[in-house]
Amino acid sequence: MARYIIQRLLSTIPTLFGILTIVFVMIRIAPGDPALAILGDNASQEALNAFRERMGLNDPMIVQYWDFLKGLFSGSLGTSMVTGTPVTESIGEVLPFTLELAFGAIFFGVIIGVPLGIISALWRNGWLDYFFRVVSLLGLSFPAFLTAILLILWLSIEWRIFPVISTPTSGGLWDRIYNLILPALSLGLIMVAYIMRSARSAMLDVLGEDYIRTARAKGAPGRRLIWHHALRNALIPIVTVVGLYFGLLIGNAVLTEIIFNRPGLGKLIVLSLNQRDYTTLQGLMVVSALMIVIVNLLTDICYALVDPRVKLK
Amino acid sequence: MKFVKSTMAAALLATSALTLPTITQAQELTMAVAAQSAGQLDPHVSTRTEDKVVFAMVFNGLVRFAPGSMSSDAIEPDLAESWETSEDGLVWTFTLRQGVQFHGDYGEMTAEDVVYSLNRAADPDRSSVASDYRAFESVEAVDDYTVRITLSEGIPSLLGVVANYHGGNIVSARAAEELGENFATNPVGTGPFAFGELAEGQFVRLTAHEGYFRGAPQLDAITIRYISETSARDLAFQTGELHMIEGERENRWVENTTSGGEIAVDVFEPGELRTLHVNTTAEPFDDIRVRQALAHAINREELIAFAGDVVARGNEAPVPDGYIGHESDIDFLPYDQDRARELLAEAGYPDGVTVPIAITERASLFGPMQVIQAQLSQVGINLEFEVMEHSAWHAAIRDDVSPLVLYGAARFPVADTYLTQFYHSDSIVNTPTAVTNFSHCSLADEQIVAARSEPNPERQQELWSEAQQLLVTEVCSIPLFELLQVWARAPEVDLGYELEGSLSLGPVITEQTTLSE
Repeated sequence: MARYIIQRLLSTIPTLFGILTIVFVMIRIAPGDPALAILGDNASQEALNAFRERMGLNDPMIVQYWDFLKGLFSGSLGTSMVTGTPVTESIGEVLPFTLELAFGAIFFGVIIGVPLGIISALWRNGWLDYFFRVVSLLGLSFPAFLTAILLILWLSIEWRIFPVISTPTSGGLWDRIYNLILPALSLGLIMVAYIMRSARSAMLDVLGEDYIRTARAKGAPGRRLIWHHALRNALIPIVTVVGLYFGLLIGNAVLTEIIFNRPGLGKLIVLSLNQRDYTTLQGLMVVSALMIVIVNLLTDICYALVDPRVKLK
Repeated sequence: MKFVKSTMAAALLATSALTLPTITQAQELTMAVAAQSAGQLDPHVSTRTEDKVVFAMVFNGLVRFAPGSMSSDAIEPDLAESWETSEDGLVWTFTLRQGVQFHGDYGEMTAEDVVYSLNRAADPDRSSVASDYRAFESVEAVDDYTVRITLSEGIPSLLGVVANYHGGNIVSARAAEELGENFATNPVGTGPFAFGELAEGQFVRLTAHEGYFRGAPQLDAITIRYISETSARDLAFQTGELHMIEGERENRWVENTTSGGEIAVDVFEPGELRTLHVNTTAEPFDDIRVRQALAHAINREELIAFAGDVVARGNEAPVPDGYIGHESDIDFLPYDQDRARELLAEAGYPDGVTVPIAITERASLFGPMQVIQAQLSQVGINLEFEVMEHSAWHAAIRDDVSPLVLYGAARFPVADTYLTQFYHSDSIVNTPTAVTNFSHCSLADEQIVAARSEPNPERQQELWSEAQQLLVTEVCSIPLFELLQVWARAPEVDLGYELEGSLSLGPVITEQTTLSE
């Protein structure tokens, strides 16, 4: 398996390189001026020119690209054009927030979605099944920001259970979890619909299999039949959905982070884009692309773990 | 099913066991500005509005605008105890307070720090506002507590450029040298609050400077949060997570926020003047008749009504109201649609004219521009919008891509600043010395330059008035209305002064600001 992982990681290098080049060019040809965005609209032309010179923005793009690659090969993503702090440091500060948000969302997605999917499958075409299917359809059609705002109105404003600004302040574990619940729930609700639908169809497929009929004939108790025999085999499509939609989660995390005022990769991407902080943006793109690659890899590894028939070569 | 029930019940129990943490640390004030993040926290480098709020609490100038005021009449001693000037107004000698301490272990502020700071502010490689100090010939430390500034020519307000605003802020020379570029993320001044922490995209935390020369602050700390979404600020303010928020500059917002009765909404100076700048060198506006038609077609009253009369007020002069040198008695082209159509026909556009323009997506400018678009279409001037992201728009209008530019700005409150940056030929956009002269007008250059060093205040005012009238008559721009600053404040916050104006465009928290239980 180790060889497989190394091969997969090596094969991502050209992908990352391509992404990096496209991002590098795209953000530079996009309209906007970093000097103006960073120094403010009242800065003198001399100051703007001095800033561009200092940051190497007056150099031809190919020279800037070469400088960037040199930095990258020496293991540096550069320093932020706004704050002057190393990009790796800025990303390192916010990355844990995005990861905990994504995993928190998956947690909510799974603990709500899987049971609902199983219930739907077990009561196929019953009123409960129809009800959950309609609810999941609604979930799919609901924009993430609307769910977030409704949750804030309900749980923060009306009931005052959670804060509106979900930024942990004390640094303690409990404070961190407390500030994570609402954003993770909001993002997780998007996953519920996907997970529920795939859990339902996977369960229906599995429940129709011969070995389930055999287990039933042998008198296996209902609960054991579902949890032990059926669910384990139904997990593969669910794992695929979780892996596939991880990218979607990271995308939606941008909105969630903004609405809940949480630090994170998404919020930093938007900020760097608006401030035309080229170096930070490049670093963020590398990290985001790398995250998607790693998650896909982890998804493949999970297949092998949940289904012994799958061999990673 | 049982499993689901029990899980949900446990989750609900766990969450309901929590209570929302309201602000229990009574002496920590939390405020939110409408921005995404702090930028470079170096007062000589950043001119961004969101950073000015921080500078006002961390730094001092030789003199200062009294808290709550931005009137030049209210300038008072700050780091300087007293000052004197030569008869010709070219040599200024400041006597500094003794015993003023910088934050941290950067020691006492002396004349060396003042000399260093003012020279730094005048250096274009290290300062964004160097042009404000172009008349500075030398800044010398006569002794540890005396600074002498010699000017090469008179300037409209020497005290203005050594006040606690942009380049006038005094930094610790040792800190600036030791920290280099990192000074922008670790600023060191003498103000009532010291820089504590910067979390990019989230907040800046300031802590009380116990050794502040006016006395230790009443508050222990201030957290300035950056929340660009109005609704997010409003909601967090409602739940008590924020004590003060930057509001929307709309009557409707003010009314909604104050409807509960307890919340104070401060509406204060400066008014950011919204002006429609007209490129006098680009077709069809290179013809003065088209520019006049434009001016006749705009209905200011309607624009003011759009924002609301609590937060907006009309202004026909190119210099904002309240600035030294503002001329209130301007002979301007009144709203007259028939005359506009006539002028347009005379200029060769009897069937109207279509003009493509660039406009930001930001509501504070996009909204009024839509009103203007509707007004102009009634006389046959059809504006085709290219709506751009704000930052891209700022760059585009400096590249001269739009013949009409709706711009809003507040500057140092002396006519010279506004006239120089927006109407002097040196400031024409897309030139090596560009600032924000979008109209390409240069016809008031003589008056602007002469007024700058005119020693007689009456004559100086005449020159400024003349310049403003010329700009209006030639329709270099159409000044429309001013939008005041709007902030909401929880009832427990006592600023310690009457807030009538703030050059930092936000309420300044001073050593006297308190939070009641």
